[in-house]
Amino acid sequence: METNGFPAKVAYYTGCLATLSAKELDSSTRALAERLGLELDTLESVTCCGAGDIHEAEPDYYVHLNARILAYAEATGAETLMTICNVCTLNLRQANWQLKIDEGLRERVNRNLEAVGVPAYSGGVEVRHLLWLVAEGEGHERLKAAAHRGLKGLRVAPFYGCQILRPSKLMGFEDPDRPWSLEAIIQACGGEPVDYPAKIKCCGFPIIAAREETALGELIQPIEQAIEAGADAMVTPCPLCHLSLDAWQQKLEKATGREFRLPILHLSQLIGVAAGLEDSELKFKRHVVSVQPVLDKLAT
Amino acid sequence: MNVALKIWRYNGETGERRLQDYEIEAPEWSTLLDVLDLIKDQVDGSLAYRKSCRMMICGSCGMRMDGAAVLACKTRMAEIVDSGHVPVISPMGNLPVLKDLVVDMEPFWAKMRAMQPWLQPGYNEPDEEREFLVSQEQMNVIHKEALCINCGCCVSECNSMESDPEFLGPAALAKGMRFVGDARDAATVERLESYNEEHGIWDCTRCYFCQERCPKGVDPRDAIAKLGAESIRLGVDRDMGAKHAKWFVTSAKTTGWLREEELIPKTQGIVSTVKQVKFAMSLMRHGKARPLPIPHVAEGVREARALYNLVKEQGRDGALGIVQGEHALARIEFTEEGGARRAAPEIQPGVEPPPAEG
Repeated sequence: METNGFPAKVAYYTGCLATLSAKELDSSTRALAERLGLELDTLESVTCCGAGDIHEAEPDYYVHLNARILAYAEATGAETLMTICNVCTLNLRQANWQLKIDEGLRERVNRNLEAVGVPAYSGGVEVRHLLWLVAEGEGHERLKAAAHRGLKGLRVAPFYGCQILRPSKLMGFEDPDRPWSLEAIIQACGGEPVDYPAKIKCCGFPIIAAREETALGELIQPIEQAIEAGADAMVTPCPLCHLSLDAWQQKLEKATGREFRLPILHLSQLIGVAAGLEDSELKFKRHVVSVQPVLDKLAT
Repeated sequence: MNVALKIWRYNGETGERRLQDYEIEAPEWSTLLDVLDLIKDQVDGSLAYRKSCRMMICGSCGMRMDGAAVLACKTRMAEIVDSGHVPVISPMGNLPVLKDLVVDMEPFWAKMRAMQPWLQPGYNEPDEEREFLVSQEQMNVIHKEALCINCGCCVSECNSMESDPEFLGPAALAKGMRFVGDARDAATVERLESYNEEHGIWDCTRCYFCQERCPKGVDPRDAIAKLGAESIRLGVDRDMGAKHAKWFVTSAKTTGWLREEELIPKTQGIVSTVKQVKFAMSLMRHGKARPLPIPHVAEGVREARALYNLVKEQGRDGALGIVQGEHALARIEFTEEGGARRAAPEIQPGVEPPPAEG
């Protein structure tokens, strides 16, 4: 059952990174869900969505892998599959649209799923990112209530990343050139959103292993612009953007001979700080760029 | 209606740049191009922009409105005027500006030429029918790519090209797919070898700006993915980008989840990885990598593997795996919940459009 767009229970898809290099994203998401009164039914026997790479290397397999994830989500009885990663959101939504609209494709995929012991998918799941659940409606009201500690006017740069904005027809949530959801959340948590043009651009992560120089040329834009706009920290709804912005920031410093030291927070961590989550849930020690300056500022 | 615009003026001879305000009376049905025509006719004859067909066919009038590339002839003004917003008009990005809204398309055409955009049927003579017959199914593979009108809107905001100006980019690569996917072309592998080079397919950062901007539904990012899929299907997979993509398939089959710590060595090779020891150590200090990667195995990985083997037998390898979903994706706008862009709620903090660049 939904209350003003906010489900009581969701099928929770962690994606790869939240179980690997971004464990802090998973722990803070779970703790936050509890504070918001959102029941998470964690999908255990699912795989990677393919991250766009399987879509490119073996596209037919990509559709099947994602259909399998959607089928297991449907089997939980939840109507919403909740993602915490931009790339998972795009890959799952794209496959979901194809399976919902094209009956012939769905029938073929279902025959294959059933042949290997996976339940068939009827098309009854909506893929939604945590960001969308708390940006408006009942979820936003609950967020406001949970964020009782506030952020003391912390200046936060929203970084959307690409695959939660574009292609906008697959997303259907907000204007990809003038998004507002992160700003609304930063404000609701008691922070001050900082505006800068590169907030809707790419962090370079998809090509950071194969074309590092090109990727760093993209990565520097949001970091440089956010600092120039006076940001104390940056927040992103995507763990791949996070990895790029946080872990590769040192490479950017080395390449440019400049010091940036811009703390990067996951969306669940930013709300989590305002909601007073424990250190053991926020796990800031797992960040490469220290978050301590942010915590110091909030402690004063 | 009274239309107000701000237009970036640029004088290529003096290098002078300024933002100029214009206001003019225009009919309700006016497009941006109609408004520019009225301004040029009645207010300022020195304003420069390209146009020809006025009906979304010639691809001449690509320009930016509030930082986003559009065809001026496709952009109706009434809704914008009603909202009270004064849009900023500037030339397309990623191309040198010659005057006002006119860009130098030569770098665009040079990349097009590099794709060898003509059929290379080899020396195969058609049989007695004296013509090559191509089925509808075969044409479906390149239907979208063939819609391109060479306007450059997809190139304007290409994030990879901003960082690497030599990147072939979405328009040229979509043109490449138009020939790689053509059943009559005999140079498929040679083409893929060439498109796989340094500034080719694997430079694409998947920002999807091209897909968002294309006024004709070409979906250039999907065209690039099709080229990647065809490259891997035909064994043109030596580039680091191809190895990166293939590692995800291996991961899904063997452990279900991505084998993240092995991704960089599998992509770049051992030598390059060893050179990055310091970087790896910094990741290990924060628990982002482990000295001995023990894969995290998903519970249902057997199903994922069986699914792979089953799917590989069904003849939808390569680009066909993407083509099969295109019809459905093209229909999203016509579904009940699909395609709608929601207006921002009342509070709109920090939503000024990015400043236009000249």
